[in-house]
Amino acid sequence: MNLLDALLLLSLLTVVFMYFYGQRRDAGWFGVAAYSIQLLMLAGLYGDMQNDLVLEAGLRLMVMDFNLSWGMSGIGWFFALITAGAALFASWFAAGDWQDSQKDMRIQHLVLALNVFSMLVLLCSQDFLSLFIGWELVSWASFFMMTHAGGKAADAAYRYLVYAMSGAMALFAAIVLIIVKLGSSRFEDFWAAIPTLPDSFLWLLVLLFFTGFSIKMAVLPFHLWQADAYAETPGANASFLSAISARMGLFALALVLLQPVGIERLHHLMLPLFSFIDARILLAWIAALTAIIPTYIALQQSDARLLLAWHGIGQGGLMLLGITVGTPLGVAGGLLHAFNYATYQAALFLAVTAVLYRTGTTDLDKLGGLITRMPWSYIVLLLGIIGLAGLPPMNGFVSKWLIYKSLLDQGMPMLLVAASISTLGTILSVYKLIHNIFLGQLRKVHYEVKEVPLSMLLPMLTLAILGFITGLMPGLALSLVDKAQMALGYAPLPHHLGGLEWTTGSLNMLWVVGILIYGIAIGAIIFYFFGNRRHITHQWDNYAGGHFLSADVPYHYSHNFYPGVMRVIGGWFRNQILNIEMGIRHFIQWSGELSYRFHQINHPALYLLMVTVLAMALIV
Amino acid sequence: MMGPILLVILPFLGAFMLPMVYRHYAQVGSWVAPLILVVNLIICLGLWHGVEVVGAQSMAMGGFTAPLGIVFYIDGLSLLFVLLLLSGSLLLWLGAWHRRVKEEMLLLLIVGGGSGLVLSGDLFNVYVFFEIVAVASYGLSASRRGDACGYAASLRFLLIGSLGSSLILLGISIIYALTGTLNLSHLTLLAPELLQGAAGLSAFALMLIGFSVKAELFPVNTWVAEVYAHAPVRVSALLAGIVSKLAMVVVLRLLLLLYSHEYAYMLLLGIGVAGLVTGELAAFHAKDLRRTLAYSSIGQLSVIAIAFSIPGPLGILSGIALAFHHALVKTGLFMLAENWRGDFSSLRGVAQKAPLASFLLIVFSLSMIGIPPLPGFWAKFVLLQAGFAAGNWYQIAMIVFLLSIVVEAAYFFRFIRVLYQNSAEQPPSMPHKRELQPALVVAVLLLLVMLMIDPINHNLTTIATQASDVKAYIYNTLPAWKLDY
Repeated sequence: MNLLDALLLLSLLTVVFMYFYGQRRDAGWFGVAAYSIQLLMLAGLYGDMQNDLVLEAGLRLMVMDFNLSWGMSGIGWFFALITAGAALFASWFAAGDWQDSQKDMRIQHLVLALNVFSMLVLLCSQDFLSLFIGWELVSWASFFMMTHAGGKAADAAYRYLVYAMSGAMALFAAIVLIIVKLGSSRFEDFWAAIPTLPDSFLWLLVLLFFTGFSIKMAVLPFHLWQADAYAETPGANASFLSAISARMGLFALALVLLQPVGIERLHHLMLPLFSFIDARILLAWIAALTAIIPTYIALQQSDARLLLAWHGIGQGGLMLLGITVGTPLGVAGGLLHAFNYATYQAALFLAVTAVLYRTGTTDLDKLGGLITRMPWSYIVLLLGIIGLAGLPPMNGFVSKWLIYKSLLDQGMPMLLVAASISTLGTILSVYKLIHNIFLGQLRKVHYEVKEVPLSMLLPMLTLAILGFITGLMPGLALSLVDKAQMALGYAPLPHHLGGLEWTTGSLNMLWVVGILIYGIAIGAIIFYFFGNRRHITHQWDNYAGGHFLSADVPYHYSHNFYPGVMRVIGGWFRNQILNIEMGIRHFIQWSGELSYRFHQINHPALYLLMVTVLAMALIV
Repeated sequence: MMGPILLVILPFLGAFMLPMVYRHYAQVGSWVAPLILVVNLIICLGLWHGVEVVGAQSMAMGGFTAPLGIVFYIDGLSLLFVLLLLSGSLLLWLGAWHRRVKEEMLLLLIVGGGSGLVLSGDLFNVYVFFEIVAVASYGLSASRRGDACGYAASLRFLLIGSLGSSLILLGISIIYALTGTLNLSHLTLLAPELLQGAAGLSAFALMLIGFSVKAELFPVNTWVAEVYAHAPVRVSALLAGIVSKLAMVVVLRLLLLLYSHEYAYMLLLGIGVAGLVTGELAAFHAKDLRRTLAYSSIGQLSVIAIAFSIPGPLGILSGIALAFHHALVKTGLFMLAENWRGDFSSLRGVAQKAPLASFLLIVFSLSMIGIPPLPGFWAKFVLLQAGFAAGNWYQIAMIVFLLSIVVEAAYFFRFIRVLYQNSAEQPPSMPHKRELQPALVVAVLLLLVMLMIDPINHNLTTIATQASDVKAYIYNTLPAWKLDY
């Protein structure tokens, strides 16, 4: 029994414990302890993750002459680290005062533990069958996490279920096709066969795998389910879901299809009829569109959690874009972005949950001015959105820089433009987020609001600080990314603590942040020593759009934010894909009714006669 | 070698003696039928052991050998389904039907007739036993007293069923006219010359459509929903889970022995795909649990038909696996449905009152949909392997099958969601504890199967290979013809 077995066992035991003792008040702290130990165990595995070596787990099955085995390689380890970390913070947030506001803490603890366990199983899969088993486990675990709150959450989860099942069936078909074709379910055999597979068969596999995995990631055109489902999940679990759950698709896609051998083959796989487009460029553009469109949908949202969830989809597109570039720089960028994104997205979701805890709403039209009441939450949210927008000094900047750089190096300027458009949308909408919650006038109903208790504030702050530290010293996170990258078969990036040395341009965040702080310091000196005397007005004494406002004139143009922008781009939001989805749904309902009627009509003898005549006719 | 005959004779004897026993020794009476089933089960297991040791064998009645005499053919396939029939009816016996002599009689008739149906080695006996099973199931489906809808539904069942039987008879008489024999192994010898022409194939088409009535295949399955919605759940479970499979096994035998012809495979495939689409879609539209389950069982049986239509042992293997899985899980589901009548919306919040039943429902549904590592997944996995390897039409059928799984997940979880919704109103009553016992047994069995997938797969592969070995069938039944091959 090695450390990996112990890790999986501990994870399973956590599920069992939560099932029996999840209703206890200290269950959350037990979760914190369990996830911390899991994180430590993963840290202990750091040394075992060499190149593309796999640390085999003790569990091994022989079913129907197929070997099912589990083991951890660098890429699985990298995502497992994020998983355990996200669970740790979610559990930490929920362990203290938060749980008093929830009536179903036991289920929340239980589904969290279940999700962590199933994700670890998925991340350890070493062949297609164990991959499918893990995939289904993760799908259903996250379904239960989304659905248990009932009401709107259950509606969204049901929609997810239909999407997830469709994806799983695509995956199932791909796996069986591979098994029938190659007679083996091992990854290695598939990778070895990729260069020799005929084009048509490979197109089919690309299509099926991409559908299967990208539904989990909510890549276009399968993006519709995710935002509602994640946003309606109660509390801290939502931060876990949006931080890591969707990344399982990225993991699987990178592992199965986007290794160097796969990227190389996709590069030569031309689209029929449009032979100037190859499969890799196609994937890259889908990823880029996923980075753009959901981001601008986020701009329209008037609920903080929905806004963040839509951004999660867009950021997933950026990660996929980095990986499909297929250079060490791009892959490192994509993977690092997954890590960085997890830190700031979890922080953002927890901050919004903190606001929800104190005010009872996340509706952006009903909040405002909370900066004076919840200053620490404000700081967490501020750092989080800086990361999300990809600005220094936060870590989001580093990974976006890597992705942009790789696009430039590979001569893909149009994709770079696309990624920049996505970033523009991000900046616009995160400003809306922070403005509508924390800036502007404080609402009368929120006069009595207090900062959230320390038990909730600490995990939020820790996450924000983590985002800052990995932004200041990206070498820390890059040394984790190295392991994943080597497992995929890419050369690790030459990096140091502050960034990396690269032939076409290096990055040293220590300098960047230093200069940034230096500039801010100069500004502060000018402001404090040479500026005018400060005139501090009351928060309600405000000025907007050429009008002086006072406390009795409610200022808030949070409703209908960015009217100018919307006048320009609003016409583009036409929900074509939503219409397609509705069309399919209605078609199924209609044909369901038809089949039902068919069975209701009482002409069985006629049917009998018809089928007999038809069968006879076919013979002749 | 009395065993195989006892399998048929004992239940018949029991059925006819039961009223008298009840009249005179009421205490003994309620034990007679279960006792017969247990004895049969032991005999069946003994025969199973025999088959494992010496292989498949045939048994001639009264010393007249085939093709003149009446023959029982005993191999893994037939014993497997006898085993299913016996253990299934024993399971469904638990508790509920004490002192209801008419139902017990009919059930015993089904057991005896069903055993004969799968064991018979000639077409005439197949027809006779099929009729016995059919008539008994018409009676059983009307056994909820004072239920006018139930009577009407079973009357419709009776009408369509008798039409189907007459088609079977027509098919058999065409075969007899063409060949002059009804012994299956003799027919197998003659089939390539005499039966694969237009007349012979039309005989197959007629028989297939006739058996389809019982096997719930498209389009003669319109009786299914109403009968299952109104019959007692145990009867629904028995008809959907077990009796329908027996007809399917006969179709499989015909296909393997007489009609390994492309037309026959394609006809079965086409009927299967059409039934799968309409069944699953109708289940999606149905608004109460019983009808949903009924339509879902139409869909599942169509999948089994698709599996059997794939030439080669892998198709048979997946068909058998799917049939057993469906028998197990649908039985469990029907047992849970006892008290969950009426429209979905009236069942809000039932999960709070019946947590165990709701949990079992989730487990059964997941296995039905085919979520690994539950057994349903492995059955579907084998089917997909067989189908994707088989050829163009089968691959299209597999795509339809995969899409149907999505629909299946959608309707099962739409219902489960309603169960777990919070409700201001008082939730309706929960299933009897008594009805939960068989469902629990099924759940335990499902778990055991999950743990023993590999040995089960191994055994089923042996059975499938054995069943598809036509030469062995002829050799075992007609030793005299050995030299010809």
